[in-house]
Amino acid sequence: MTGAAMTAVPTSAGRVPRMLGPSMAFPASLVVLLIIMVPILMLFRYSFNHFDTVEMMQEAFTFENYVRFFADPYYRDVFITTVWVAALCTVLALVLGFPVAYFLAKTQSRYKSLFIILLVFPLMVGNVVRAAGWMVILGNAGALNTVLVGLGLAAEPVQFMYTPTAVVIGTTAVVMPYLILTLQSVLEGIDFSVEEAAQNLGAGFLTTFRRVLLPIAAPGVAAGTMLVFILCMNAYATPVLLGGTGLTMMAPALYDQITRASNWPFGATLALVLVCGTLLLALLSNWLIHRRYVRTMAS
Amino acid sequence: MAKVSIERLKKQFGGSVAVSDFSLDIADGELVAFLGPSGCGKTTTLRMIAGFIEPTAGTIRIGDVDVTPLPVHKRNTGMVFQRYALFPHMTVAENVSFGLEMHKVPAAERDARIRTVLDMVRMTQLRDRYPRQLSGGQQQRVAIARALAIQPKVFLLDEPLSNLDAKLRVEVREEIRALQQRLGLTTIFVTHDQEEALAIADRMAIMHDGKVQQVGAPQTLYEQPANLFVADFLGKMNFFRGAPDGAAFVTERGTRIAAQSGAGGARHLGVRPERVRLAAQPGDGNALPGTVESAVYLGSLLEVRVQLDSGETVSSQVANGAPRGQAPIGTGSRVYACFEPADCVLFAE
Repeated sequence: MTGAAMTAVPTSAGRVPRMLGPSMAFPASLVVLLIIMVPILMLFRYSFNHFDTVEMMQEAFTFENYVRFFADPYYRDVFITTVWVAALCTVLALVLGFPVAYFLAKTQSRYKSLFIILLVFPLMVGNVVRAAGWMVILGNAGALNTVLVGLGLAAEPVQFMYTPTAVVIGTTAVVMPYLILTLQSVLEGIDFSVEEAAQNLGAGFLTTFRRVLLPIAAPGVAAGTMLVFILCMNAYATPVLLGGTGLTMMAPALYDQITRASNWPFGATLALVLVCGTLLLALLSNWLIHRRYVRTMAS
Repeated sequence: MAKVSIERLKKQFGGSVAVSDFSLDIADGELVAFLGPSGCGKTTTLRMIAGFIEPTAGTIRIGDVDVTPLPVHKRNTGMVFQRYALFPHMTVAENVSFGLEMHKVPAAERDARIRTVLDMVRMTQLRDRYPRQLSGGQQQRVAIARALAIQPKVFLLDEPLSNLDAKLRVEVREEIRALQQRLGLTTIFVTHDQEEALAIADRMAIMHDGKVQQVGAPQTLYEQPANLFVADFLGKMNFFRGAPDGAAFVTERGTRIAAQSGAGGARHLGVRPERVRLAAQPGDGNALPGTVESAVYLGSLLEVRVQLDSGETVSSQVANGAPRGQAPIGTGSRVYACFEPADCVLFAE
């Protein structure tokens, strides 16, 4: 077999054409360039334009939109709120999702694919529909309050809707399947005999997790966490429907600027701040995780 | 180190019995090999001793302590895994240090012990390497050092050589044996490779279908197999079906074979191929006439299959030590397959 493979190499028939790789990547690259990069570059240009309440957007080159963003406490707070909500949801999804992913990675159950289908199921329903579901549960006359009041745990309905709590619950639920699926595939790649080796050497369950499993899984955990953080930062439907006026995040705010106020330059500025802020925070957290765990794992 | 006693150990997975009625006493400093085909329950038994699998019934004692109810990390066994299971994010020294930290060995002493065990497996030079920078054999040696660093009561090896190439396998197994004897380690070695087991074990336990078939020194098992399975599994053997007739054994095809012990209920007679000589003339003992069917050249050996006139076939292993120039045994030549009655083993079923 080796002999056949060796003789096959020099013949031109079996060789991979040199331009095959680039030419296969070309269509996708073109699409990315046209439908993602071009709009972002246009928004970038718009963010330096001037807004006039009568004339709308005017060609200009001014930093006034960025100055407004950083000077106006309202928008600064919107940004900070967004980061907090996204971070909280990411941590919650991680803490709640890790055990599920661990279970899925280790289980020998024949129902494993059923579990995974159940996990993917919510992704087939739009965010809006899922948010509507949460409204039914969290509303003042909703399921949760009915139970609370019915059991006498609360004298009157608790206000869940249009609070940060509702947004955090809703967003965490949206992103959790993504995190679990990423973590599960990472954990499945780990040879679990390292866990057994750790126990055999005298490590209990928690020590094994902290000193062996977590560091080995760290690159995958970092990737999944970053994906989920980005999803949370850009959440739109869930914050709008569950947060209402009680909590404003970046995506709804910039949508308002563009559609309601027709202020394209400022909307573009918010969009760019969101994109760059998300990117910076994601890279920062990734770097921190890598410095803590992955330094030694690079191959 | 300590002795190990296993008493009536049993493991059932759902409806299927993986190990049943396994009892064995292993002396302090003894190396016992669990040998058997895959699925015979040898690894399950080892994993029950380490604590990874909870037995359905039975007890395991290490020293004088009944460890059956103890979790893995409280048993103090040193295990070497088939795929090494080194921690990929730790250096060689850190891998070894891990167990010492878990056993709360003070930092000063830790360093000395890391040095000792790494010296023992000749890995001191590579103490700051990561596992991925090591070859298979080196990784295996680190795994051994890591397991021994915690000064375990029992040393457990689960098919430790199966991922190494043939030459290295012999080298590492000799190193393991030397280390085991020098340190007086009570050792359980799981393998499916009989040569490995024969070469290094003080005693072997041959397992099949979750049951121990025979326990004993390698030589005893090979020369006096207790049953058909052991005889067939360990090495090669020619078998004849038939029944005893006085002092002799008569096969189903009517061949009369003189055997030493005319065991009452014997149904099978076996003789090892290396005990079968080929000769042109019949001599003392059994001499069965036949024709050479094939001769396979195996380097140091020649394996010759003889079709007996009775229709049965017999294999003979002839040492490849014939003087040069002498004509090799050709297919079709007439020969006598000769063997001593003392070399025949009888089996009931």
